[in-house]
Amino acid sequence: MTATHTTSRVTVRGETGEVAQSPRATSPVRPLPDRRLRSRQRLRAQLAAWAFIAPVVVYLVVFYAYPLFRNLDLSFRDYTLRSFIDGTAPFVWFDNYVEVIQSSTFTPALVNTAVFTLVSIAFQFAIGLALAVFFFKRFPLAATLRALFLVPWLLPLLVSASVWAWMLNSESGIVNAGLEAIGLTQVNWLTSPQWAMVSVLLANIWIGIPFNLVILYSGLQNIPGEVYEAASLDGANGWQTFWRITVPLLRPVSAITILLGLVYTLKVFDIIWIMTRGGPGNASTTFAIWSYRLGFGGGSPELSPAAAVGNLLIVLAFVFGLIYIRTQRRSERA
Amino acid sequence: MTSARRIGNTVIGVIFTALMLFPLYWMINVSLTQPTDLRKDPPNLFPVNPTFDGYSRVLGEQLPYLGTSLVIGLGTVAVTLLLSAPAAFALAKLRPRGGTALNFVLLIAQMIPGIIMAMGFYLIFHSWGILDTVPGLILADSTLAVPFGVLIFTAFMAGIPEELMSAAKIDGAGPWRTFRSIVMPISRNSVVTVSLFTFLWAWSDFIFASTLNRGGALQPITMGIYKYIGNNTQDWNAIMATAVVASIPAAVLLVVAQRYVAAGVTAGAVKD
Amino acid sequence: MATLHQARAFGAAIITVGVAAAALTGCSTSGESTAASTEYTLWDPYPDRDAESTWAQAIDACAADLDITITRNSGNTGDTVKDLTTAAGNLPDIAMVDNPKVATLADAGLLTTTEDNGFDVSSIEENILSAGEIDGKVYGVPVGANTLGLYYNPTVLEAAGVDIASVTDYASLTAALEQIVASGGKGITFSAVGTEEGSFQFLPWFWGAGADLTALDSGEAESALQLWTDWVSTGLAPNSVISNTQGTSWDEFLTGEYGFAENGSWFKSAADEAGYESIQIPGIDGGVAPAPTGGEFITIPVQKDTSRYETSAEIVECLSGGDTGATALGYVAPTADGQAAQLDADPSLEFWTSAVGDAKPRTADNLGISYGVISEQLYTAVQNALSGASSPADALAEAQATATEKLEK
Repeated sequence: MTATHTTSRVTVRGETGEVAQSPRATSPVRPLPDRRLRSRQRLRAQLAAWAFIAPVVVYLVVFYAYPLFRNLDLSFRDYTLRSFIDGTAPFVWFDNYVEVIQSSTFTPALVNTAVFTLVSIAFQFAIGLALAVFFFKRFPLAATLRALFLVPWLLPLLVSASVWAWMLNSESGIVNAGLEAIGLTQVNWLTSPQWAMVSVLLANIWIGIPFNLVILYSGLQNIPGEVYEAASLDGANGWQTFWRITVPLLRPVSAITILLGLVYTLKVFDIIWIMTRGGPGNASTTFAIWSYRLGFGGGSPELSPAAAVGNLLIVLAFVFGLIYIRTQRRSERA
Repeated sequence: MTSARRIGNTVIGVIFTALMLFPLYWMINVSLTQPTDLRKDPPNLFPVNPTFDGYSRVLGEQLPYLGTSLVIGLGTVAVTLLLSAPAAFALAKLRPRGGTALNFVLLIAQMIPGIIMAMGFYLIFHSWGILDTVPGLILADSTLAVPFGVLIFTAFMAGIPEELMSAAKIDGAGPWRTFRSIVMPISRNSVVTVSLFTFLWAWSDFIFASTLNRGGALQPITMGIYKYIGNNTQDWNAIMATAVVASIPAAVLLVVAQRYVAAGVTAGAVKD
Repeated sequence: MATLHQARAFGAAIITVGVAAAALTGCSTSGESTAASTEYTLWDPYPDRDAESTWAQAIDACAADLDITITRNSGNTGDTVKDLTTAAGNLPDIAMVDNPKVATLADAGLLTTTEDNGFDVSSIEENILSAGEIDGKVYGVPVGANTLGLYYNPTVLEAAGVDIASVTDYASLTAALEQIVASGGKGITFSAVGTEEGSFQFLPWFWGAGADLTALDSGEAESALQLWTDWVSTGLAPNSVISNTQGTSWDEFLTGEYGFAENGSWFKSAADEAGYESIQIPGIDGGVAPAPTGGEFITIPVQKDTSRYETSAEIVECLSGGDTGATALGYVAPTADGQAAQLDADPSLEFWTSAVGDAKPRTADNLGISYGVISEQLYTAVQNALSGASSPADALAEAQATATEKLEK
């Protein structure tokens, strides 16, 4: 049994000009397709699809599932350093979690994590978007300047954090020198409980702007020029164009950017650790910092509570992610 | 836009860029500052009495580290592309069962903090014998980029019109052929974007390098910095000089590839 | 439908393969040390001593003497516990560990005692050795020792009209600082960072006021912390001390604007070059405050092949005996002979050698592994008080409460 099809030709529309598409192929000769043939084809298609994703699945299981499993194991038992040698670690189930939640660091860490994440994302996104729109205008050097904006990203976090720590030093930092030059008093950026959070936010926002800039810029590129032409023909000014056209059309790209920003910011560790070590006290301690400090930063390693905090962080990320996806879906349907 | 307006925008652009890159300037400033002026109050805006000790040390000692970082970066890009592009193609076009679940898992996979991953990897790498090796770090660094790569590629490939796919199928091409000859060439821009992000992340990785390659013969530049962080002292000239020297190749790469940098996140080359 | 089942089965197969792969990787964590019997590994926290440094040469010389190869691997001292924990199935032959951490690692069973490895510690100075002694067993040997003192800049003091002989206790030191600030200089710099370094720097003042690590909330402890807090709040010490490491504090001192700096013996040659001098840290009412000993311990971690201990012990003997190891690292030698050799070569080491002789280990008074817990609370209290988050009394009370709670577990 054969079916005949005529070939169809479709061409891609490039940057300029339209190309007509030729009509689609004709239907097969027999009106009733063979069910077994179709389902075998479908199976083959499924197998082919899985062959493509199999490497990634194996990769995920080995490299992600395993560390996650180890971390869960660590958190449900009572691990001491000795356990790493002789392998004995009794199961304590949820004791570590209870201890962590009842600890006096829990609430400050939770608040700090939320503030750090939300404020970082808000500013990174807003500034990234503003810069993307700005660099979208055509002016000389736009492309080079845009590429230069990515340079902060190249620095290992150890270095970026150290440079910011230098600049924000109470005594010898350039920021305070600048403040004093215009007549304000010095601010103890890294050493005062009130300003420590602001300091790490500044550094983190600075580091996150390039990422947002790149992705939002490419999203802007995807908006067809005709839309803007039509808008200006209708007499819309810049501000209206931005809010009524650009922002809604950017929604899918914005969604990805904010979601990724959320996931990455919750994990942030190096910047805060190098600048303030979560201090003074708990002023800039987030869950990621707390987890590391419990495990390796403090006087004696408490690996099981550290693992518990780490898992709570993953749960938090999970919850934030779900909330975000749900809000996105709801607004898309509206 | 008038010429004056355009130049005006350029000036504003330069100011913004200068503000953004000020910390980099500060890094260079510190790298050239005399040790006795490092903590001066107020600090010198400009290295009035420059010292090039940091740079001479770095250039004499860090070149192997830079080479290793380059190899690791390129290797990570290769591994990431090999893993993520086919998977994204399947998720976007072939619709396997469990595809949505996989997408969700990939998102969650990115939420695991680095230290947890690093400790888990140590055991795996130890039993595979790839601790303290370059291939080991390549594998570890790829975990930073693969989920992201799948996400970007899927977003892009989902925008490729169905007609192209059907045309290929009618012409008798299997999925692999379609992938290789049709989808990948079109996806060039997103390949560059993913490669760039992957290279940058691998280049600046620190947590995996310090846990998994503590003593290897070949170490990346992020570990090279530790040479200047002693037990009780730090040689800031050399540390900042290392950072400056480490930034140069990557900065060159960025400026050269700037055309592709913002190009390929969504299906910008194909429009219906 | 049959095809759907087949498709699902295939999917399940992939997952199973994946899980099996993971299980295989997970199961084989029994680190087999197949290193040849003449290849030994040594981990130290001196990445800034590269292959041409005197330290590396000292190691090579020992290796040549014993006819073995020693592969050296340097990491950051703050990561030692993490690195050894992660490598638990694959420990190096020799691990150099910062002295307050020896107790922690020993308690975890990662280290061998002198009974296990046969090393002879009879010639090591007692006050330096005791940090490695827990319950009468010795887990490691110091490669050398350092301690803290009060450096001063004679130029700044002279300009302010301060006579160093008048600085004998807390009150006179504070008065001197006020004089220096009044004359336009800066007072004192030290490190109060939220890490072990901060505790290390606070201990001379803490002990000098008569306080004890088992009672962080005593009146004496409060006076010590009040001293530092007042210095920072009245501008006699800069606010940056809260985030300063010892290295950063030294950089501040090098600007030449500060009158005093509390720092360690390892800066002796830098101080000599800059023309700075030193005195021992005064106690609250006079006398000399006991300063803590610092310096790394050479330990022999547990190995599967116990026959390696003999050669490891010889490596330790080579590095700690004489004075090559200690001098290479800028430490005072741990044996009387070693110290004599150092003084012969450089008589100006007299001050620091006797300072080390007067010093006290942090894990002494049978604190052992409790030290880590107490130290963390101590530096947290210092941070809270200096940054104004709480008063010295409150900060210390909270520290003691938390320490008691954690130690009871």
